[in-house]
Amino acid sequence: MRPNDCKFLKSHEWCKIENGVATIGITDYAVSHLSDLVFLDLPKQGASVTVGESFGEIESVKAVSSLYSPVSGEVVAVNKELPDHLEWLGEGPFTKAWMLKVKVTAQSPDLMNTAAYEAHCTAEG
Amino acid sequence: MAVDDALLQRAAEPTLRLYGWWPHAVSLGWFQRFADFADLPPGTPIVRRRTGGGAIHHGDELTFALVLPAALLPGDVAESYVLLHDAIRTALADCGIACKRLDAGHAPTPRPIARWCFAEPGRDDLVTSRGKLLGSAQRRVQRPSPRVLHHGSLVVRSPALTPFVAAIADAHAVDAALRQQLADRLIHHFARVLALEPRTSALSTDETALARQLQRTLYECDADLRRR
Repeated sequence: MRPNDCKFLKSHEWCKIENGVATIGITDYAVSHLSDLVFLDLPKQGASVTVGESFGEIESVKAVSSLYSPVSGEVVAVNKELPDHLEWLGEGPFTKAWMLKVKVTAQSPDLMNTAAYEAHCTAEG
Repeated sequence: MAVDDALLQRAAEPTLRLYGWWPHAVSLGWFQRFADFADLPPGTPIVRRRTGGGAIHHGDELTFALVLPAALLPGDVAESYVLLHDAIRTALADCGIACKRLDAGHAPTPRPIARWCFAEPGRDDLVTSRGKLLGSAQRRVQRPSPRVLHHGSLVVRSPALTPFVAAIADAHAVDAALRQQLADRLIHHFARVLALEPRTSALSTDETALARQLQRTLYECDADLRRR
């Protein structure tokens, strides 16, 4: 069940914005299509991320995929334990497998609500 | 590597590039640590790929880079390997070269990945009785549009640094005619499974310029090699 209080990018990242801070991760759809996750690279606290640009990379089945930011701003927290516990992405992609918290200065104009994202996933197959 | 990167960023249409290596060289997977290869013989040429997986000693092999809109491949990464590996297996069979694809009963690529790509065959790898015959890896991007770079190394003769690698020459006399036939059948079967019509073309001016820039600013730079 995907949360209704998150927004989504077509590239399967989610964000939940509360009090000007976005929590960012990747969706269950992304995790199921990547499978067998091996490596995750995230930015450091204090780094800047930009709407639509890569903020990190993940490797699965010898495939490296870029992760794209739904917001711009400063990274104020990083889930430092996640790269050593990639199984969390399967267990709780919207909860314990959050990746970054970003103090938001801009949001992507392409963010979708849950219903629109689910239609997008259905169209992708 | 710079050309493949340029194609990933700029290719205007689905592109297959076939090539070989001289001098023979080692390529590291994107997430591998340079320090883990400090024991390579002095002077070994080494480069970092944009694709994942383990290191490869590229000797006598048929290397390919396939750049595609992501929509042409299954969204599921593992399924995309199955589609492309079955095309390669059929191309090899057309040339009288037998191999099999390890099925879902085999474990996926071990975690953490082996230092050498060919060391531990996993699910969906193409193997002969002697071991893994094909190395594969991908890079998936969303910008400028959803695209996949799929790298493949089809081994003709086992490389010096990784003699455990299976090779076409283990069971076949390899001559220029067989190499050409294999290239032709790969083109045919990739086009077949992707529903494309193959035609030959050269790199565009734009692709060439970007490849030269990437070669100068990334691939020939020590910093890129040592980024991890």
